[in-house]
Amino acid sequence: MQLLYAILDFPAVKWLFLVLVLVMPLASLLTWAERRQSAMMQDRLGPNRANIGPVKIKGILHFVADALKMIFKEDFIPANVHRGLFALAPVLALAPVLIAFAIIPFGPTIYPHALTDRLDVYALATNPGAAMFADAIRMQIFSIDFGLIFYFAVLTLANYGGTIAGWASYNKWALLGGLRSSSQMMSYEVAMGLALMGAFLVTGSLEPGAIVERGATLSLAASNPANWLWLWQPVGLLLFFTAAIAETKRAPFDIPEGEPEIIGYFVEYSGIRWGMFFLAEFIEIVFISAVIVSVFLGGWQVPFLDPDGFRVGGVVDAATHVSAGGWSLALPHGLVVLLQFGAFVVKVVLTCVFQLMIRWTLPRFRADQLMNLGWKLLLPLSLANILVTALIKVIYIFATGS
Amino acid sequence: MSAAHDDHGHGHDEPSDGPRVLAVSHRHPRSRTIQVVRPSNEDTTFLAATAKGLGITIKHFARNLFLPLRSAASRSKAGAPVDESWRNEIETVQYPEEKVTYPERFRGLHRLTLRDDGNVRCVACMCCPTVCPAHCITIIPEESDDPRIEKRPAVFEIDELRCVVCGLCVEACPCDAIRMDTGEHAKPVEDRARAIETKESLMGRGIRSIAKQGGEGPNWRAHGHESTKGDVNR
Repeated sequence: MQLLYAILDFPAVKWLFLVLVLVMPLASLLTWAERRQSAMMQDRLGPNRANIGPVKIKGILHFVADALKMIFKEDFIPANVHRGLFALAPVLALAPVLIAFAIIPFGPTIYPHALTDRLDVYALATNPGAAMFADAIRMQIFSIDFGLIFYFAVLTLANYGGTIAGWASYNKWALLGGLRSSSQMMSYEVAMGLALMGAFLVTGSLEPGAIVERGATLSLAASNPANWLWLWQPVGLLLFFTAAIAETKRAPFDIPEGEPEIIGYFVEYSGIRWGMFFLAEFIEIVFISAVIVSVFLGGWQVPFLDPDGFRVGGVVDAATHVSAGGWSLALPHGLVVLLQFGAFVVKVVLTCVFQLMIRWTLPRFRADQLMNLGWKLLLPLSLANILVTALIKVIYIFATGS
Repeated sequence: MSAAHDDHGHGHDEPSDGPRVLAVSHRHPRSRTIQVVRPSNEDTTFLAATAKGLGITIKHFARNLFLPLRSAASRSKAGAPVDESWRNEIETVQYPEEKVTYPERFRGLHRLTLRDDGNVRCVACMCCPTVCPAHCITIIPEESDDPRIEKRPAVFEIDELRCVVCGLCVEACPCDAIRMDTGEHAKPVEDRARAIETKESLMGRGIRSIAKQGGEGPNWRAHGHESTKGDVNR
């Protein structure tokens, strides 16, 4: 059993689980959901007919049909392209997004010995090194202190995919799309990073797992929605969300691939190579949603669900950060883990749907409006957000002496 | 004074909804200083506009997601008349299951009309292949068995992929032998050869024409007989 838990705790195994069970299905479903949702928003029906025999679940199977189509389509490579880079670009676009998922905490830490019992939270808080907690399975691939910086570093690499695709295609429109994508990325990466600095100031951590487990303040339970950062960093959330949509290169920030103007950096791509760009874009949506959920919306926390069961109106002990008292309902650890993993999935799906909603509500910005918004609005606002957050924090520290 | 006033007065001729004119140049009356209308803060931050737009799209999305379809199929299933305000706004027609009735003069697939004895009415006069702008009609004539009739088509083929559905063949036909009033459109095919309608398939859709051979008698358009109106879309 110990060996099994050790294998399950192995990063590659967790990565496979996350990508194959959560990310890929969700991203594939989003390709269908986007078309269906946009159709419903525009008083159309959208793709509702793909079926296997009589099984026609509102057309969800369209994503299977799309995948099959893209795999079997002709992989056309135009003359004069740089063959090596042309082949490399889709991989460069897809791989970093999948790597960046390493920092996402997609569930609580599982303690296999207590799956059917109530978890002993006092023992966990006071003596986490005890033998019975040794076989813990942490549902996060890498808990590194520089988690969010790692994400910025890795996800920026995805931009090379687009730019190299544009250059390697030997096509002026593709090159324009690639250049637009890099200029947009450079403009919005700054505001995006600074928008998260406020969250860093509040929680004192850049590790999404720690942010989820701790919340904004130690005087409230981490599962209390009032302790999640959306209430403490509303401006940061808004700025980060805006910049993140720009980062995924989707409307209203889709000038790198604006269909009516330039097709974009993947204009010369076809078949599954184009499919990889497409999938990368949708995985990026899932990833951005996961980051927003982890940092601002409490991650896998279910409202008022502590590690040992539901508790409303409890008092948090300052030393151990374990709450007691109030109304409580004890639950076995296994059920709590399931609920919390489910909460993470639901939150991510809802955030994805909200991104799609925005994408189909707004028209595309002009390039100059895009740069104005990025440099003249988002950047100063995010700096002001850091300043105000820091001032409040300093005043709070002076006032309470802690 | 009045002359000077006229020199200055160009601004007053502007329509009232144009830009507000602050000053007009003396030397060049067409050079003016105008008040530029800048977008409001509300518009430049995009925030209020986004919220408003989201409100509209979410309203449509929710309505279309949760309210029942207003399609003909669901209407007939419900039986009783339904309150339209509690239907969604999707106008899509679910094509193979539901069909929109085509207009009466819709030009569809061709048909060859029949004589009273069931033979083809066409006399292979070659008017329709001559007039056809797409050269989609092929007729090979042959001697007719009937001594009163000179020719008949041995082969009568229409390539429906080439056909531009202009209806000139119907106009050109002197004996009401070819019509496009079937109310069907060309069906998709898996290879091009299958899109060629043969004499048999054209006659298979055929109906008997009551027009007298040679153009005498009542026009088939004048009043209904075993009209095609009924089988449009059936």
